[in-house]
Amino acid sequence: MSLLRLILRELKAIVSDKAIAVTLFGGVLFYAVLYPLPYLHQVPTEQALVVVDLDNTSLSRTLIRHADASPKIQVAAAAGSVGEAKAMIASGKFHGLLVIPSGFKRDLLLGKGATLSYGGDASYFLVYSALVEGLVSAGMDAAKSVQLLGLLSRGESFSGAALKLNPMHLNAVPAYNPSLGYIPYVVPGLFLLILHQTLLIGTGILGAGQWGRASADGGSDYWRQLSPLKLLCGRALAFALIYLMFGSFYLGWCYHWYGVTVQSSLMDMALFALPFLLSTLFAGIAVSTLFVRRDMPTQVMLLASMPVLFVSGFVWPLSLIPEPLVMVSKVIPAVPAIFGMLKLNQLGAGFSAVHTEWLLLWGLSLLYFVLAYIGLKWRLSRFTD
Amino acid sequence: MQALLRRELGALWQSPWQLALASWLPLVSMLALWWLFSAALPRQLPVAWVDLDNSSISRELGRHVAASPVASPSSFGNVNDAVAAMNRAEVYALVVVPAGFSRELMTGAEPTVDVRYNGQFLLVGKLLAANLQLAIADAMKPLAYTKQLASGASPHQAKVNMAPIRTQTTALFNRNNNYVGFLVPPVLIALWQLVAMLVFANALNRELAEPTATPLLKRFAAKFVFYLPLLLAQGLFIHALLFGFLALPLAGSVLWLVPAMVAMLLAVFLMVAFIFLLMQEAARVVSFCTALFAPAFAFMGVTFPVHDMPEAAQYWRLLMPSSHYIDSHIALVSYGVSGAELLVKLLSFAPFLLLLVPIYLLAAKGLRAQDLAQTGNTEHAL
Repeated sequence: MSLLRLILRELKAIVSDKAIAVTLFGGVLFYAVLYPLPYLHQVPTEQALVVVDLDNTSLSRTLIRHADASPKIQVAAAAGSVGEAKAMIASGKFHGLLVIPSGFKRDLLLGKGATLSYGGDASYFLVYSALVEGLVSAGMDAAKSVQLLGLLSRGESFSGAALKLNPMHLNAVPAYNPSLGYIPYVVPGLFLLILHQTLLIGTGILGAGQWGRASADGGSDYWRQLSPLKLLCGRALAFALIYLMFGSFYLGWCYHWYGVTVQSSLMDMALFALPFLLSTLFAGIAVSTLFVRRDMPTQVMLLASMPVLFVSGFVWPLSLIPEPLVMVSKVIPAVPAIFGMLKLNQLGAGFSAVHTEWLLLWGLSLLYFVLAYIGLKWRLSRFTD
Repeated sequence: MQALLRRELGALWQSPWQLALASWLPLVSMLALWWLFSAALPRQLPVAWVDLDNSSISRELGRHVAASPVASPSSFGNVNDAVAAMNRAEVYALVVVPAGFSRELMTGAEPTVDVRYNGQFLLVGKLLAANLQLAIADAMKPLAYTKQLASGASPHQAKVNMAPIRTQTTALFNRNNNYVGFLVPPVLIALWQLVAMLVFANALNRELAEPTATPLLKRFAAKFVFYLPLLLAQGLFIHALLFGFLALPLAGSVLWLVPAMVAMLLAVFLMVAFIFLLMQEAARVVSFCTALFAPAFAFMGVTFPVHDMPEAAQYWRLLMPSSHYIDSHIALVSYGVSGAELLVKLLSFAPFLLLLVPIYLLAAKGLRAQDLAQTGNTEHAL
């Protein structure tokens, strides 16, 4: 059988198997929409805040208006006491509270200072950080205007007073993901992981089905008369064709659609994606030789997905993950690939920065090629005897 | 019923994979996931420190940043090197103290200190931004204080002038912003739901291989009754790990969550049974259920709040039993709601019972005759 015909046979086997089709075509298209869906609004805004105003003066009301003006906060209700506010937060409808103590304005005007209390529901970290950021900036605004009044009242000139308030200017700006949006944070890594997992499942189901079916009915199949090397190449090329398409769709169209930055050139990206594709293909074929039940590869890969997602270092920083886990995770092609792609596309580090990941992926390609060859040889030898 | 349960037990013993799923494998995965997050509080994150001023004030600033538990600054001679390190993700933030910083400060010219933090690593970036600003603002305080004294304010008055409004920020329900308390429970519950889904799917798929005369619905019920205690034990293991071993704060009694756990498992079972009756082929059932349940974690609404999701996501969220469960979980663990209120929350699982209707109708038709070529290879497990 010529290689071209073999690839066509493989493609036909892939497309006509409904379980593979569900995973490959259904899964890849469905996940492109479903996974980013919760994050489409990017940043949490207008968190519901309960205000406990024990002061009830013009200044406390100004402060509340300032807080409400923050895009991160919506003053949703007022409570008479802290206990009442706490019960409202426990109902789950409100997420934070601001307590203005009684005598707030008087103390400030007397120059005694006052303490504001903020509270946020830290069961949800994004909600908490949005609330605290909004409240701190509202409180700082109020503090500054009070400070300015105090300085002016003691006879400072306006320009001198304004300077004293800020001895220096702190210019803190986020880099790479300037809006601090959730989609640019999650999507780049997640999409690579989806490609990786579906490819492993696809090769797994195809392989497991073939070894299993043959042992059950002893029928003849196209792949049985082939040498292991030829089968390996044909299968890898067939899946590579499909995944070139999926990869272009995810890294090209979906990244663009979701507004994910792509800072590397097409050449760099292709150069880096090549060993990722190869190592995943060979890993998939190698792993497929371990299964004979078609429902097994999906189960194993599904359970592995979450650990792989978290160990790849884009959600939880690598420096905080225990060293042994990081070392072991390096044999999974997705792990170096996600981090490398992140450096290339999101951080714009240039190709020299991803050399180690690139070489590691080539090393993995070689390793899994050998393992896949051994595995296929073992599977095929059971029929030629 | 007893005979049916015994049949399930036999099936479980014969299948090493199912046995692993029902016993040790999820426990090992859960412990591994906890280990991954066990640092709990991000500390000593690398920060690039570029001091172009080299004055006593800028060094004082550097010491303040180094004293922050979150940041671990390393010095860079020039901005380009620091930017390159940041591009390679070797440091998560970059602080530049400009040349002439000290002189400008003394002459009242308001110098600018630049902080760039990595927004790509959202979690670390935000944390570093807040802590660096805190450390630098803190370092500037003695300076402003001296200035106040020099201009004739009394020490007490100077202190008040510097910060007339003090603030006290409290992280409710998770006092020290512990990531284990925040992230690990939903991660483990998502994993638990996946395991439950796989266990049920495998159990149901066995019916394709060994037809018997017992009515299908009876066999289904036996499967649920048989696996319920095993899966419930895994759920309780999660809570024993979190609130017993790790002693995370807990406002109520975990036992009140048991009804919610049972409801979640029942909902998962009904969904899997419905899909099984529709597909009736082992690999397809598993693939379809996987496609459905795999993204459940994103929809739980813990990492990204539910009320900020688009409406479509909020509807999809309702399809996932785990998101109903996590609501009860947080209500009990954080807010300490009473047991009676938790039981009322169970009503949100009620729509899953509607699946009983199509399951009943489909089961009445019985299973299709199986194509042996598709399913004949059953018990070689792995």
